[in-house]
Amino acid sequence: MKQIFLIAWREYKQYVFSRGFFLFLVMFPLGLVAVSAAIGLAERNKPTRAFIVYDQTGEYTDDIDREIERRYFLSAISAWDMYLAVNAKPEALAKDVIPPPFAPNAVNEARAQAFREAGGFDAAQQAVKPFLKPGALGFVMPRASFERLPAPPRIAGLANLQEAEENIRPYLLEERLVARDGEKPRKIFAAILIPEGFGAGEDAPAAQYWSRNITDNALESVVTAALSSALRRDAITGLGLPQEALDGIAALQASVDSYRPDKTAEDAQLSLEDRIETALPAALTYMLLVIIFGAGNLLLTNTIEERSNKIVEILLSSVTANQLMMGKLVGIGAVGLTMPAIFLFGGLGASLVSASDENFMGIALTSLVSSPLLLIYLFYFLCAYAIFAMIFLAIGAVSNSLQDAQSYMGPVMLIVFLPLPFMVMVFQNPNGLVASILTWIPIYTPYALMMRAAADPPIWEVIGATALMLAFAIFMMRIMGRIFRQAILQASPPKARDIWRLARHETS
Amino acid sequence: MSDISVSLKNVTKQYGAFTAVDDLSFDVAKGEIYGFLGPNGAGKTTSLRMMLDIIAPTKGSISILGSDSAISVRRRIGYLPEERGLYRKMKAAESIAYFAQLRGLSRTSALARAHALLERFGLEEFARSKNEALSKGMAQKVQLLTTIVHEPELLILDEPFSGLDPINQQTLEALIREQRRNGRTIIFSTHVMQHAERLCDRFLIMAQGKKRFEGTLAEAQAKFAQRLHLRSPAPVSILQALPGVVAVSAEERLGGDTIYEIELADGTGPQHFLKAAIAAGMELTRFEQAGATLHDIFVALAEDEETEKTAQPDAGEAAA
Repeated sequence: MKQIFLIAWREYKQYVFSRGFFLFLVMFPLGLVAVSAAIGLAERNKPTRAFIVYDQTGEYTDDIDREIERRYFLSAISAWDMYLAVNAKPEALAKDVIPPPFAPNAVNEARAQAFREAGGFDAAQQAVKPFLKPGALGFVMPRASFERLPAPPRIAGLANLQEAEENIRPYLLEERLVARDGEKPRKIFAAILIPEGFGAGEDAPAAQYWSRNITDNALESVVTAALSSALRRDAITGLGLPQEALDGIAALQASVDSYRPDKTAEDAQLSLEDRIETALPAALTYMLLVIIFGAGNLLLTNTIEERSNKIVEILLSSVTANQLMMGKLVGIGAVGLTMPAIFLFGGLGASLVSASDENFMGIALTSLVSSPLLLIYLFYFLCAYAIFAMIFLAIGAVSNSLQDAQSYMGPVMLIVFLPLPFMVMVFQNPNGLVASILTWIPIYTPYALMMRAAADPPIWEVIGATALMLAFAIFMMRIMGRIFRQAILQASPPKARDIWRLARHETS
Repeated sequence: MSDISVSLKNVTKQYGAFTAVDDLSFDVAKGEIYGFLGPNGAGKTTSLRMMLDIIAPTKGSISILGSDSAISVRRRIGYLPEERGLYRKMKAAESIAYFAQLRGLSRTSALARAHALLERFGLEEFARSKNEALSKGMAQKVQLLTTIVHEPELLILDEPFSGLDPINQQTLEALIREQRRNGRTIIFSTHVMQHAERLCDRFLIMAQGKKRFEGTLAEAQAKFAQRLHLRSPAPVSILQALPGVVAVSAEERLGGDTIYEIELADGTGPQHFLKAAIAAGMELTRFEQAGATLHDIFVALAEDEETEKTAQPDAGEAAA
């Protein structure tokens, strides 16, 4: 036992106390912060995209302007809610003392209307002043995503659509710039051409969206929505309804609350906690997959190192092949558990010192610690590790170099990552057919049952598939153990056909 | 308490149809330096691995330090494999201490002994250097120290001199002698006959998995044809005609004399030859008896093996 511990400790120390591991621990959360900061920064600093409209009908430009303004106002309310989440006193948020419509809430047309009627953002800033943390900065309106510039006179004055197209091209190709009165000339991102006769009729010509950027279709969506809304308005007006009625109809939004049947009436309404609890098994499954593969790779590389360096012979004069194998399994398994443990304790520490417990991480960690998910993760980690680690160990034992190992790694990688695309289906329908099939394939049982952990799969399925998986894990440990013990000492790696012989029986 | 440290009885190791070691038996006495000689592929390393119970024999029995398996007495054994290796990222002292701990020492005493040994072998300043930073010679020394750090009763060294420069070879010879003085038993395999000649109390020569010879150097020499070296101005024809002479070869000329090597037939004593030479009127300026060197014996046995191989028809030919 002492020997197993010594080997395990050496393996563990080699990786966990290495500069690489420390850097990973520092870099991983920093990387996450950096990525989210970069996305936020990119979003905030996305320049306002300027465009022009050539409207031969003269009817739809205002519709486009209105749609852009409507969307901008909604996004500004979202930004306002985030501003309050960071800058309002936690007790004010908890006690719902901030007056509606300024208090954080669902962002929809009704709230936007109420927001406007209550005086907009200036009034909002005044209204929340007593509830802000000391020293909180004022709210800054987000940058607008789009801005319509007036079409240059040489285009606006054209009567022919084809001529307009030809004249707009140099602007879109940035050979010419568009200027608003008194402002610096700017490049345009897109041009919208609305031909004479545009309308809802089958023979009516289509509006045209011109842009060099074919990946960013946000403006195209806005224009489509604006023009569709205008056509509906025209149709409804044609039926004799007033404009106000149309605006009222357009502002209608169904309110749907989600409930879960497995909770009591008062707790049944779906909350953020519920959504996080449902998503946690998926996050843990992907972590399981990544860590199992990472740990397997560590086992593979260090077994190859010991084999090619011939250290294994000295080791085997001091310990048995079984002790060596167990020591390696325990040591690298502990490395695989250390990473999530550090992140968990780090997260718990961070949420404890955090002023608010209403944050996403706080809810996620509370759900994780208060549910059996961690125990389930530990159990399935050990099972998946027993299966896959033995495969990687055996490959290490039959390879003198990583190059040798590559020929075996191809199929193994395929097997390891094969369930990935199906995991989305399991997440969406955790008690569906795909979930059941994956559950009963022992090599994927840990992933499938981890993913289904929050969906209460049938207990007979859990017990049956787990028993089958345990039997398979024992089988793999025996077979791969035989290969490891016999192959590790062979001077030259055994050929593929010999591996089958090694797996079948242990020669004395 | 037995005086036998290691005993192999009719040990055979087969890998499928290939017999690596064939019916090998020998005993190694306590406190003895025992040489394991043989050409490449003779079965030396396989035999050593079987002694250590790293691999199990197909047939036969092995007793080591009074036990049926080296596993139960491994803390009393030190093993240096032929192909050396250390963990590249481990420090020198850590490496020695790690293997000492695996063989039962506490961490404190393993580290203390590691530092003491490194100091003794002039490597103390590299104690905290990673193995990958050591020169090849230094790394080999560190590896040797991992073998003796737990002060084993039995040392099994597989080709310990290979790859060492002459200075380190001397150091290793001295270390082996010192270990023997301290009452330890040493078994080592080697290709370098001079080391075996200088160090071994007894040795075993293997070829094709079989034992070809076991005994002392004197016993080996006695088994081979006697040789005489003599110096004479007389012509070789007189010598060839003398009774009991198998072969005469001129080795070199010194002044007007020639030095001859005479191979005598079994049963022909040097005195008998001397009398006959004087009676034949030969003028001798030097006369000495020369035993076969271990090198000669080794080569002779290896040649026998080659002859056997050539003489043995393969299965296909036999069937035809």
